[in-house]
Amino acid sequence: MKITLLATLLLFSPLAFTQSPETWLLTQSTLSYHMSHPVHQVDGFSHGARGKGVCDAGTCEFLVAAPVKSFDSGDTNRDEHMIQVTRGADFPVVSVRFRLPESAINSPTLDCDLDVQFAGNTAHYTHIVFQQTIQGNTHHITGTVPSTLTDFKIPPPSFLTVPIKNEIPVKVDSTWQRQ
Amino acid sequence: MAVTQLGSKLFLAAFFATSLTCTRATFAQAYSSSDATSEFTVASLPDAPSALLEQQQQPSQSQPQQQPPAQKPTEPSLSDLGLSNKPDPDLQARLDRHTQMLKIHQRLGLITLAPLAAACISSAAAPPDPRNGGGNTVGRDIHVGLGSLSVVMYGLTASYAIRAPKIPEGPVKGGIKIHKYLIWIHAPGMVLTPILGAMAFSQANNGEKVHGIASAHAAVAWTTVASYTAAIVAVSWPIKL
Repeated sequence: MKITLLATLLLFSPLAFTQSPETWLLTQSTLSYHMSHPVHQVDGFSHGARGKGVCDAGTCEFLVAAPVKSFDSGDTNRDEHMIQVTRGADFPVVSVRFRLPESAINSPTLDCDLDVQFAGNTAHYTHIVFQQTIQGNTHHITGTVPSTLTDFKIPPPSFLTVPIKNEIPVKVDSTWQRQ
Repeated sequence: MAVTQLGSKLFLAAFFATSLTCTRATFAQAYSSSDATSEFTVASLPDAPSALLEQQQQPSQSQPQQQPPAQKPTEPSLSDLGLSNKPDPDLQARLDRHTQMLKIHQRLGLITLAPLAAACISSAAAPPDPRNGGGNTVGRDIHVGLGSLSVVMYGLTASYAIRAPKIPEGPVKGGIKIHKYLIWIHAPGMVLTPILGAMAFSQANNGEKVHGIASAHAAVAWTTVASYTAAIVAVSWPIKL
């Protein structure tokens, strides 16, 4: 009788109701920036991003980060210059933080407010829409962040005295898995 | 029996104490993760006005800020991802110096094209007259002057690339790869061309027809100029390899 009582108490105790936070992991990703110049159109790709999301109390906090040096434009010289101009040795990681209501996790479109830390500066982007397709526990998310050089106070590199365009859109193609 | 009852009471007391602690912990977690509650709490603190003012001053649209927002305990961190934002000021200084020197290298390289082109053009007036071995000595002197200037400028240009701090890098990719391969053609050419030119100049001044290895001066010079120009195009043209 006493054992039954104890078991019942344990079962309905607050301990039993305490849920561990749900975790999401970025399993695969491609980030690419596009740079425009009158004589050059360049795309730099990174497959080195890592990401994690933690859902707790109805809110999911996500962090995606990639080493600046992991971006590859296909030209060593250009990549070195990119790292120099973005102060990639002083700030070796570009990171993106965003928050989503847990109820929106399975929506086909995700409306995110992003905090992007890059080159020693943080830019805030509101209502960036990402497309999402879901297959079981795997969520495939794509979208574009409309970043610019001025957002991060990056002096525009120039070629033949002509600077590159201020707009550096970053395409995101990522696959997340619920743990 | 009494011992068993006492044990049960002690266990129940310990259980409720544990439950209470867990409830408080859960409440504290929910308390800290709620925005509205956090703002209320911050507002009740003595230094709240400055914190709130700072929040209000933050622009909402694409405005870079120097200070990142404070991280909440539940937020993932860079260390969770196995990444570190530890700065490397020494590498940044070397990158800055590297870029600065390569920019000078680039400018001087383009400027060097001018005396090089002029030397090529003036070469038309340099050879001795095949009939009497004489010819336009003034034109020859101008060619020698422009050629010498080209070699000096080339050396100066190369020195900035050679002295630029080395940056640790993986396999070289892109146009810079061709740019570096072409060094093996135009660098020996820039050494050989003036030597052969001096031999040819000496032979011409002695009234001799340019002969022997000196007769390769023009061919070596044109090969050098062609590879030098190709080296510039390799890093300028949108070539992807």
